[in-house]
Amino acid sequence: MSIRKERYTLTQSQKMMVFILSMSLYGLSNMITELVPEFQFGPIELSIEYFAFIPLTLCILFHPLYAAIGASLGEIIFGELMLGQFGGFGELEKFIAFSLAMYIAGILVRNPKSKGQVGVAAMTGVIIHQAISAMVDMMKVWVGVEEFEAVPGLAESVLAVEGFSFLNDVLFSGILFALLPTLYLVPRLYGKIEPLLGMKPRDNKMSYSIGAIVGPRLVAGGIVLAIAAFFFEYLSESGFNWEWEADFLAMFGDNFIWVSIAVAAITALFTVIWMRKRKNDQGQQERVS
Amino acid sequence: MEYTRKFTDKLSVEQMKIELLNTAYGNGDTLLAKLDPRTLFIWYLFFGITPWFIHQEPILIGMFAFMVVLTYFAKVSPLIVFILCMGLLGQGGYLLIVSLFFGGDAAVILPLLTLTLKLSVISLASIVVFCSMTPEKLSDGLLKIGVPGQVSFSIAYGYRMLPTLLEEYHHVFLSFRLRGKAPSKRGFLYWRAIVYFCKIAILSFYPLLLSMTKRARTTVEALETKGSFYGFNHPQVKKLKLAHLKLRKRDVYFLTFSVVYMVAVCLVEILL
Repeated sequence: MSIRKERYTLTQSQKMMVFILSMSLYGLSNMITELVPEFQFGPIELSIEYFAFIPLTLCILFHPLYAAIGASLGEIIFGELMLGQFGGFGELEKFIAFSLAMYIAGILVRNPKSKGQVGVAAMTGVIIHQAISAMVDMMKVWVGVEEFEAVPGLAESVLAVEGFSFLNDVLFSGILFALLPTLYLVPRLYGKIEPLLGMKPRDNKMSYSIGAIVGPRLVAGGIVLAIAAFFFEYLSESGFNWEWEADFLAMFGDNFIWVSIAVAAITALFTVIWMRKRKNDQGQQERVS
Repeated sequence: MEYTRKFTDKLSVEQMKIELLNTAYGNGDTLLAKLDPRTLFIWYLFFGITPWFIHQEPILIGMFAFMVVLTYFAKVSPLIVFILCMGLLGQGGYLLIVSLFFGGDAAVILPLLTLTLKLSVISLASIVVFCSMTPEKLSDGLLKIGVPGQVSFSIAYGYRMLPTLLEEYHHVFLSFRLRGKAPSKRGFLYWRAIVYFCKIAILSFYPLLLSMTKRARTTVEALETKGSFYGFNHPQVKKLKLAHLKLRKRDVYFLTFSVVYMVAVCLVEILL
């Protein structure tokens, strides 16, 4: 008995239960927030950004990793795919940011009964998520607009817009729809909801292996993509472009486009080939084992 | 008056469920819907990434025209296109106003227009691709490219369960309203009413959390009985399940056409 208490381990099916629960509930709430109208007073936007209290509550009560991943996936499936608003690669960034924020919020809480811990964790989760998405939004404009610094006023305005919406989201959505409901729900559900899934409530003696952070492969992939984006951007700005222009300027004008399209096409091709190859390898390995 | 009635019709829960199923299954007979999911993924891999690295307006305009034509053929619901347009215009316009405030001038407009053009190409590409796939097709396609079985199961589960969940949430919400007391005064700008509804919306999740927990357990137990976890981890099962996915002639034609079109656009840009 004492050995089982030391680490909070779940069976495969229990993990799946937490995952499904978090996915469907957060997905449902997402659909509701998508449909509720926004109130905008000039720059102050009083919108219900998200019902962050659902994943927060579940991450605090159950295993944070599966609850966090489930919530992110639920958002993508219910809130985007089913409403026909799937953003493709943009969703990857949301997925990573949201899972990471919720997971961190979940592991911050050692004792779900302590209001202080729950409150701090809820706010931390919202702040991390909003900070990551604000940074990504700023980066998008930076990468998307050529000669970003040369355009007067743009840098300041992007910073102002994003900074303001960050504060707005943290203070308005964060307090009203994350902090207060989480503080209300966690003590009420603690000890009640876990037996329904056939597991014991978390207590402060349990620890997690932090090594299992939200798919290291996903995070690494995101970083590689970001670096690649900046690399291409740098190429198009610097000498590479200039040399081509020097040769063909008279005839063709700006020729860099060929390179970037070819690079993108080759990247796409290699990705596909790599995925096929990896899949085949995996298939063989599994068959051998 | 009639507009108000139409609007409230649109907002009813029944109507929403119909709309959802329509988005999911309504356009199975379009040109793009007949393609293999892998073709669409490859196509999207190109059109979702390249616009970020292109700074030549003519090429972006060419891509945009291609997307508009495809959106038309994919029979994307006008509501979705409208939402997209509002979002893009709102973001671009907001940035423009704020940067004018910070001492920018008319020179800001062009880069911002280019950025909006890029964003619209990317979003239209994703709408075209993901609206023309039925959930089964999407989950089969994802399974084929190596996404874990849990994800494709979740997609199918989401589509199946959502109408039920929405109805249950609606019932809980209504019973809260029935038993509770609405504020007698609306308050300035209806703020009392808004606060009241937000509070109920949050409180309604409490019973739903408990009932959903039971449902999740039942689902997983049913999955175990059916041996789904075995299927997630064994390639033979996957192979059998995905045997119907084949690259056909029209997939090749579609990809070839896209490549030819892009090359033509680039040629035009270079020659001009």
